[in-house]
Amino acid sequence: MKKSRFPQTVFILGLFLVVAIIMYLSWGTYKIAPLDIVRTLLGGGTKLQNTAVLHLRLPRMLVGISVGIALSTAGALLQTITKNELADSGIIGINAGAAVAAVIFISLKTSNYYSTLGVLSIYVLPLMAIMGAGVAAFVIYFLSSRNGIKPKRLLLIGLGMQAGLNAFITFFTFRGGVGDYNRVLIWTSGSLWGAGWNYAKVIIPLVIVAFTTVLLDYKKLDVLNLSDEHAVALGLNLNRERKKFLSYAVILAGGATAFAGNVGFIGLISPNISKRLVGPYHKNFLVISAMISVVIILLADAVSRNLFSPIEIPVGIVISVFGVPYFIYLMMKEK
Amino acid sequence: MEAISVRNLSVAYEDNLIIDKMNLSIPKGKISIIIGANGCGKSTLLKSIARIIKPKDGEIFINGKDIKDQKEKHLATQIAFLPQGPICPSGMTVKELVAYGRFPHQKMIGGLNTHDKEIIDWAIEETGLKDFADKPVENLSGGQRQRAWIAMTLAQETDIIMLDEPTTYLDMSYQLEVLQVLEKLNKNKNITIVMVLHELNNACRFASNIIGLKQGKIICQGIPMEAITRENLKAIYGIDVKLQLSDNQNYPICVDYDLIRG
Repeated sequence: MKKSRFPQTVFILGLFLVVAIIMYLSWGTYKIAPLDIVRTLLGGGTKLQNTAVLHLRLPRMLVGISVGIALSTAGALLQTITKNELADSGIIGINAGAAVAAVIFISLKTSNYYSTLGVLSIYVLPLMAIMGAGVAAFVIYFLSSRNGIKPKRLLLIGLGMQAGLNAFITFFTFRGGVGDYNRVLIWTSGSLWGAGWNYAKVIIPLVIVAFTTVLLDYKKLDVLNLSDEHAVALGLNLNRERKKFLSYAVILAGGATAFAGNVGFIGLISPNISKRLVGPYHKNFLVISAMISVVIILLADAVSRNLFSPIEIPVGIVISVFGVPYFIYLMMKEK
Repeated sequence: MEAISVRNLSVAYEDNLIIDKMNLSIPKGKISIIIGANGCGKSTLLKSIARIIKPKDGEIFINGKDIKDQKEKHLATQIAFLPQGPICPSGMTVKELVAYGRFPHQKMIGGLNTHDKEIIDWAIEETGLKDFADKPVENLSGGQRQRAWIAMTLAQETDIIMLDEPTTYLDMSYQLEVLQVLEKLNKNKNITIVMVLHELNNACRFASNIIGLKQGKIICQGIPMEAITRENLKAIYGIDVKLQLSDNQNYPICVDYDLIRG
């Protein structure tokens, strides 16, 4: 039953994806027809089209796609590790940890958040963000792991963590001088503003490597779906695997946050929808989840760029508008 | 030959000592059934052997080798454990669930090979679930569901299987259904079976070796005829029993019992 649904789902989502990509590349202050986009991508565009597509929208789209894959996979991993479908790196404060580290790092380097980062900083930034995410994850894990991980406790501690860290970011960025609320929003709500090739070339390989590594280990993740006792009986080194997958989640969430800020809810929604579509096997649902996440983030970012143009609203806010009701729905369903 | 041997085993939850310096040997190719009052350490003993709980002290040997010196996955090809009240991921079919049992045999990359598939089919056949192989586990009856879990445990292809209260919450016919499957496996495949059981009469009927526990200590061990006596049951449960021989004169049956007051 579920086996035959996977190719179908991939196909349908693939169509959605193509539509989302075309819409993403063509919709903007400067509109470009779909056929012109293809021509531009093949190298035959006008100067204006080249600038809009190749230098602005395409890299931003690729960063968006990477962020989508990273956050959905991080969310899926956290949900499997905690056996709780409400877990998400945005909700439990792992993204916020990354954002704090990123904000501190950037303000040490420059007082202007909008200026392009230096060459070296581009590589150091995700590293710092991953470290920040790691520290946050460690603290959450440590605080909630006394007498075994209690998923509810982990979620509540994470929620507190995320609120506290966001408050810190707000305070820190305002205190830094030029009180520009947009800057704060980028980090607390997540935005793809200013994502260019320099970001894309760092995050794309990071996400490809991490996502492939996780996907190749799908069997262990499937075993983690059983009860802890059963997983051990089947020969899984539970604590080691848990920590390993938590580290992957931290790397993915931290890397995404370094360039897009704290985009919440996407890591919550996508794996949940995906599981309902293709069942609990990680080999299938991680792929579907990533595709759903990419479609959502592209549509949401297209909206956030254009709806109130020329003012841009952070993509995270657009996603939250849809994510929050879903989160409440899941909460109500929880026994 | 012994399948499992436990030496000087002490297990504690924090400061609460559950098993105190236990020495135990479980014979190969037999059905050993552990009985005892609630909280006497039956489950704890199985969980320690299955590496779910880390013992405070002592050694556990499986097929003559210390479990500390072996890789988790390698051990999982020698001994399988079905915990109490297992949780099935939602939407899974019997066949998919049973396939989990192949995990310790599989390499990291690649699907199920021909041998894996043969074993899965065999396990489903053996537990009488052939007609239900593609049905979701959630739709099965209690006895069928428990047999599906046993099939998964079988698919691990081990020569020792441990089960923690495999018949709890099942009605009398389902209990028998499950126990007969296990008996058949023991007879035909010579699989060593170790389980915790609450139903005394079932224990006597199916066990070739009974282990009676009280407060983490072994009170009696041996064939039902020798181990299940009035004195031993008094020591284990604090009850006064009326025993009688079964129709085939092979094992004792508890026909009535009373609490001992005072």
